[in-house]
Amino acid sequence: MLTTPRLIAIALCAALNVAVGSAVYLVKLPVYLDSIGAILCALLLASHRRVAFVCTLISALTSTLVTGVLINPFLPWFVGTDLTIALVSAFVTSRGADTFRARPMEPYRFGGLVLLYGILTGIAAAIVSAPVVAFVFGGVTGSGTALIVGVLLKSGEQLFRATLTSGLVADPIDKTLQVLIAALLFRATPSDFVAMVRGTPARGATGA
Amino acid sequence: MTPNGAAAFALVAVLAAILGDAVGLAAAGLIVAAFAAIETGARSWAALRRAVLVMLPLAAFMLVIWAGIVGRSPSEIAAGVPGSRTAALAYVAGVAARLFVVVLLVQVVTLRFAEGTPFGLIRRLYLPLGAKRVVVVTLSLIETLRQSIDRAHTALIAGGIVTRTLSLRNAANGWLLIQTVWLTAITTVTARLRDKWPVESTLALLDPALDGAERRLAVRDMVWIGLALAALVIAAAR
Repeated sequence: MLTTPRLIAIALCAALNVAVGSAVYLVKLPVYLDSIGAILCALLLASHRRVAFVCTLISALTSTLVTGVLINPFLPWFVGTDLTIALVSAFVTSRGADTFRARPMEPYRFGGLVLLYGILTGIAAAIVSAPVVAFVFGGVTGSGTALIVGVLLKSGEQLFRATLTSGLVADPIDKTLQVLIAALLFRATPSDFVAMVRGTPARGATGA
Repeated sequence: MTPNGAAAFALVAVLAAILGDAVGLAAAGLIVAAFAAIETGARSWAALRRAVLVMLPLAAFMLVIWAGIVGRSPSEIAAGVPGSRTAALAYVAGVAARLFVVVLLVQVVTLRFAEGTPFGLIRRLYLPLGAKRVVVVTLSLIETLRQSIDRAHTALIAGGIVTRTLSLRNAANGWLLIQTVWLTAITTVTARLRDKWPVESTLALLDPALDGAERRLAVRDMVWIGLALAALVIAAAR
């Protein structure tokens, strides 16, 4: 299952998570973008969904651990979100792998799938993150979505419901952006690298 | 102290800080302070500075949301009473203090081993070899990605596709930079996998180099874990 090319793909995707997620965290953008590598890992291994799940999860957990120690100490609280993203990416988002690499690109189908998978990932991530955000962080994690939480609380909403609602508004947008970037990077990845990771012969006709 | 003991201590102390009320949190805080003074020494100041830098903006933001916008605590919202900003302030103080102890704990435990290399630290951890391999290769590839960013950025500036300063061209062609970084990293990794690493037997040499876990806990580890467990018992009992 964990061949050397897959190990390298896991590490590369984890490194991508760390690099992009840390940059976004440090410049305080109103998005997270810390799971692009994990989603990409699932797409790279789309032909073997169980392998994709294991590799995506390892990639997500590794990046969470490394970022947690080096950059953002709050991230390890969200390991449950890592597990959820790995599940959705490996068993749902990876179904769009062929469309994401289709040449010529089918823009409507590509855009539709990105939107669908992004929203699904976002809803799942919001549901799993909400208890952590509410009970560990008091509803405020430092991102702009806390303002939505504040407004909902002001209107008399309970903390958990306010956090969940805010997550359900913000996470699908963030995750759609992440699925879009992951799909475009997957599309740009050379075919021989994809074949090496999947353990199949390279198909020269597809890929950049 | 061993890295395994430090990791176990950190895990138990984090649980104590999160689960307890004010007394449980104070107990966890005291143990973290003692660990910082005895184990981490002078480097604790750097840990403290980092924890303050991480927590201060978050605490200020919490204050704006809870004391500024909401104006009452969650328990008051749940009870449906008008509430007060003082209660909201007390709530923010509690959450922020808890998170501060956790952030400080992670920093002092990490800096306790700052004298060694990351590779040496990972080698000493009692983890499956595969997990260690993934972490080491990830740390190496983070550097590769950083170099890829430098190369791709320079190449695209030279090609007139992006600029060094803020510009509309950067907004329009930013995606090309991300794509170029990814392709540069892929090319580097593929070359390593196909040529460099097989010739140098890198991966074959990596396993024995990482196989040096400390399987036993030191007496010092036991003492710190015992203290953290005591704090956890106090936290759970209240």
